Amino acid sequence: MIEAKHIRLSINGKSLLNDVNLSVQPGTFTAIAGPNGAGKSSLLKILSHELTHYKGEVRINDVIASSYSVAQLSAVRAVLPQHSHVQFPFTVKQIVEMGRQHFKSTSKNNDALLEEVMELTGVADWANRNYLTLSGGEQQRVQLARVLAQVWDQKTFPRYVLLDEPTSSLDIAQQQLIFSLVKKACERNIGVLAVVHDLNQAVQFADHLYFMRDGAVVAQGESKEVFTKTNIEETFCCRVNVYHDPCTNCPYIVPERTTLSNLKIASV
Amino acid sequence: MIAAIPLKQQKVGTVLGVLAVVLVMVMLVALSIGQVTIPVKDIVMIMLYKAGLTAQEPDAVFETVLWSIRLPRIIMTVLIGAALAISGAAMQGLFRNPLVEPGLIGVSSGAALSVVALVVFGSALIGNAAFGMSVLMPVVAFAGGFAATMLVMKIGQQVGKTNIAVLILGGVAINALAGALMGLVIFYADENQLRMFTFWTLGDLGGATWQKVLITAPVLVLSSVWMLSYQFPLNAIAIGEAEAFHMGVDVERVKKSIVFFSALAVGVSVSLAGIIGFIGLVVPHLVRVIFRADNRLVLPASLLGGPILLLLSDLVARTLVAPSELPIGVVTALIGAPFFIFLLIGANHKNEFNTR
Repeated sequence: MIEAKHIRLSINGKSLLNDVNLSVQPGTFTAIAGPNGAGKSSLLKILSHELTHYKGEVRINDVIASSYSVAQLSAVRAVLPQHSHVQFPFTVKQIVEMGRQHFKSTSKNNDALLEEVMELTGVADWANRNYLTLSGGEQQRVQLARVLAQVWDQKTFPRYVLLDEPTSSLDIAQQQLIFSLVKKACERNIGVLAVVHDLNQAVQFADHLYFMRDGAVVAQGESKEVFTKTNIEETFCCRVNVYHDPCTNCPYIVPERTTLSNLKIASV
Repeated sequence: MIAAIPLKQQKVGTVLGVLAVVLVMVMLVALSIGQVTIPVKDIVMIMLYKAGLTAQEPDAVFETVLWSIRLPRIIMTVLIGAALAISGAAMQGLFRNPLVEPGLIGVSSGAALSVVALVVFGSALIGNAAFGMSVLMPVVAFAGGFAATMLVMKIGQQVGKTNIAVLILGGVAINALAGALMGLVIFYADENQLRMFTFWTLGDLGGATWQKVLITAPVLVLSSVWMLSYQFPLNAIAIGEAEAFHMGVDVERVKKSIVFFSALAVGVSVSLAGIIGFIGLVVPHLVRVIFRADNRLVLPASLLGGPILLLLSDLVARTLVAPSELPIGVVTALIGAPFFIFLLIGANHKNEFNTR
């Protein structure tokens, strides 16, 4: 389990996170939703130990995060940032392989694992293509393959994947594919935490949902239970209606059409 | 148009093997050609004789030319070519920028400034003793280059982390400052000192002796081989510093080591042979354009390619206007610059560089 307790973060005197508590269980998919600037990405950076000057406590598999070495951390968690800018013409396979570099010698079935991850993410056909010639969405999938490759191996301890808006540059078919993949990762005792912008997708796929606003958690719980009109309106300051899919009974929202004057009220 | 060849891991060995064979062949040619042409057969004979494997005495003139003049020069050229090229490759990887070369962090200009100061003002302190100068100059060059690099590193430090953009800007500032100070010092130089300095800033491989080679070889070999071990960290950093950290790379340590060892390698090279441009920039580029960006290939291939290019340049430098010699820096730039322009025009930009 990744467990964050009483996380506070301020940069240049401005408070970005204010007493945030959050946990990610292995084998489950936890989503964070919230308006821009709510502190979601900062929280993700703290959980991945990229930001270290926070107050509070982060434990990964019951061990304080700061006591892990950089290499040890890479064995228990992988991270997909919002954007990656690759500067040199690597091939797709070379990029995916990098996720496994640290474990190569310890894993006999390395090639099989790479193959599996590349098949799953649908990048296998481009293995020898130049990464820089791929479209933004294709590059995103290659990066996801790299991230999954890092923690895909079955281990005695649970691993975690932290995703910052993994579907931001993908079409809807690709988005569905990514989230199905995430669910598949959960079956391998991997805990997934993702910042998700599309609320309908969040409730469709996530087991657990956190709503964040102004550096604090507004609501959290089992995703279908916290997915209420009140919680969403309070988090996003936007009027919505919640309906239920007649086939699956999964809830979904339709935002109310806003006039400009309404928007002004909402942002106050 | 140069098409990048997709490379399978097994082929890395083949490419490196071919480069190694080419390097040995170029070394033999460089040993053979000069004002006195030594047939390859005699080169082999002399080597065998020196190794004590044959009792047959080789031609005395050939032996002297080869053993006292050409061999130390060739070995020094190989070591310097390797050191410059791998420093360039490692720094381009580290700074995630294909335009970086070792001079950018101040090594060359720091060394040049300290040397010009020594040449102009040193004579007042130690007299014009040629011997004192020849011993002092490499030491002073190295110290100056190293000091400038440390200063640039210090500028790049922000809240305990190395900020690459600030570091590069710091390098630009230090280079400009060193250039200005150099101009100021040269203002006080006499004709003779000016000439000496000009030759030094254009590079000169002619001063090779066994003594110099034996003293500097361990440092050059150690720092070059050390940088060779950063293949994976540099690959990971090419994706991004945060991403490299996520994949288990201690980015801060990698930065410090690579800047330290490339300053060491380039500083020692500059102290031996003056400023030799373009090797550190062009060789890794060449490898990358032909074989893609994987540092598991770029680093070792640069290590082999640098000596090949420098040996060929040196061959041109010492045969073209024989019995005189062209400064090596002039030749590397004359060969390197047009070739580089050709690469830039020929390579499909969108494929080879991220222009975003």
